[in-house]
Amino acid sequence: MPDFSFIFAQSISGLTAAMFLFLIAAGLSLIFGVLRVLNFAHGTFYMLGAYAAFQFMQWLGPGRGRFWLAALGAAAAIALLGGLVERFLFRHLYGAEELYQLLFTYALVLVLGDAAKMLWGTQQKSVSAPPELGGKALSLFGATIPYYNLFIILLGPVIALGFWLTLQRTRAGRFIRAAALDRETLGALGVNVDALYTWVFVLASFLGGLGGALISPMRATTPGMDTEIIVEAFVVVVIGGLGSFWGTFFGALIYGQVLSFGILFFPRFSIFAVFALMAAVLILRPWGLLGRPLK
Amino acid sequence: MHRRTLLILALVLLLPLAAEAQKPIKVGMPMPLSGPPALFGDPASKGAQMYVEEINAKGGVLGRKLELLVRDSKADANEAVRQARELILKDNVEFLVGTLTSAEGPAVSVVAKENKIVFIAPIPKTDQLTAPDKLHPYIFRVASNTTIEGRSAAEIVAKWPVTRVATMSFDYAYGQDVTKAFVEHLKKVKPGVEIVDQQWPKLGEQDYNPFINAQMAKKPEAIFSSIWGGFFVTYSKQAKALGVFDAIKYHFIGVGEAATPETTKSMGADYPVGIWGNSYDAFYWGETAAHKDYVARLSKYLKDEYPSSWAIQGYIGMQFLAEAIKKAESTDSDKVAKALLGLTVETPVGPLTIREKDHQANRGQLYGKTVKDAKYPFAIMKPVTYVDPTKFMD
Repeated sequence: MPDFSFIFAQSISGLTAAMFLFLIAAGLSLIFGVLRVLNFAHGTFYMLGAYAAFQFMQWLGPGRGRFWLAALGAAAAIALLGGLVERFLFRHLYGAEELYQLLFTYALVLVLGDAAKMLWGTQQKSVSAPPELGGKALSLFGATIPYYNLFIILLGPVIALGFWLTLQRTRAGRFIRAAALDRETLGALGVNVDALYTWVFVLASFLGGLGGALISPMRATTPGMDTEIIVEAFVVVVIGGLGSFWGTFFGALIYGQVLSFGILFFPRFSIFAVFALMAAVLILRPWGLLGRPLK
Repeated sequence: MHRRTLLILALVLLLPLAAEAQKPIKVGMPMPLSGPPALFGDPASKGAQMYVEEINAKGGVLGRKLELLVRDSKADANEAVRQARELILKDNVEFLVGTLTSAEGPAVSVVAKENKIVFIAPIPKTDQLTAPDKLHPYIFRVASNTTIEGRSAAEIVAKWPVTRVATMSFDYAYGQDVTKAFVEHLKKVKPGVEIVDQQWPKLGEQDYNPFINAQMAKKPEAIFSSIWGGFFVTYSKQAKALGVFDAIKYHFIGVGEAATPETTKSMGADYPVGIWGNSYDAFYWGETAAHKDYVARLSKYLKDEYPSSWAIQGYIGMQFLAEAIKKAESTDSDKVAKALLGLTVETPVGPLTIREKDHQANRGQLYGKTVKDAKYPFAIMKPVTYVDPTKFMD
């Protein structure tokens, strides 16, 4: 039986992975919930967020707080890009069949992926953790928890709560929820649904870009990271329920823990545990743990 | 009048022959140019192109110029096979030099065998490529292989004052083969050693934290890793944050080119300076005048102050082909294949020989402990040593 400090360390690493995945999956789930489109390009926004953070770090040069500036700048830049994509490209596809929308987002993955390669080349890029958090770690119950991981673990719930309060308590949030239920009626009531959709896209892209920027101190920034993350984020939203906000949050938590502890039981097949869980959810509860069945 | 007619007739008859002699020797190169493996495939193809331009400037081979046709194999075995077939059938290439992954190499080798065309693999490392049951007269390798690489690392780790050793490798052909070669050789040269843990993340894993925790719970004193390329950046960042390198006092060796100038450069201050690693080449090596000269030319060709360590593999691949054609005095694949057996070539990294028995070049790699150096804004291997594999290839 593994000792307690090991189990604790595993659960913490699972929690870190979960909060990262939540950042990415939340945007994917939001777009699906409101626009009813599975946006494959969301992973690309995440990758571009990481590249943009690298680029801003280069431009800012040495100095205090530059990582935080770069991360926010990257998220803002990706939000802008997302808004432009929705306004000038995506909008023309709302009436089209779902298959075309899916194909279009896939085309975006290819085009933007190649654009990133032209801009930043194929060499991996690396961003350092901010000096306030990098290189330091907390020792707790015999486990080592890097400060940066701790920051991510705390940031996840903050973003989740902020996001949820926005959806529940603000006028814009009410419109977004209404649009998810019935866009025609909302339009008939005089709400500018087009603009609302753009803002949803902007918000989702912001989260994706922020996720990419925040992960860059822990991972290499390379071409191909877009398609890796989209699969994981997709598994999370399927487990939690497509379009369900808390479903995404719990889906991410479950994913992280299953992956962390999976290697105890299936040392060489930990990824299998996650996909087995997804298959089980799809068979028993196709709309996800907290999702609503589609009528 | 009569003589002039004869002369013209002779010219007309000879012209096609002369044109034939001037036709370039076409060489096909399926190589990953997109996705993460392009990190190595792109510079390797440029190294090959630089060699082609250099030799053409000197008049080519047998009076004919070389022409390199590079195709994006997307690091996919099926795509590499498709590209190889098309290069042979449509573009009429006479030779193949290329492929990168251990999936592409053996797949294209089958195409070379079918078409009886010489195929030189400059990068794939899996032992399978030239294993006795897969070997055929047309396949040659100038890359290192998993036996060479695993054993080279074992020779180094055997000298460390450690007994509890752990391994971290991707769960697929390359990771499994190189780790097996390492473990077997280490146990042979240092019987007291104990393998306390082996982790097998999936190829391309992004979150190593669970694997690192599980490994460190077994209290290893040294770690062997074959996590390669950009993945090593991700792995070592996470390992460093969890204090792995301090815990094992930097008794860490990263094969799969963990100490290339490209990797240490991209990581800068985040690189776990003090670990051991390897690389096919390093611009700062400067062992011989030939190497210094090669680096200077490459630097100019790639317009990069610190040129890629991967270009050398494409360069050497083309160099072996050109030398074999010269030796055979023919571009007939059967003759060139015979010429390659036992051929020794003076490459920028020193003389290399393709062995007759398994068509494998004695290509070793550079190994060294990484240190900070005031001359460069990133870590370098110092002292950097070329580990000649000749004595432990069998």
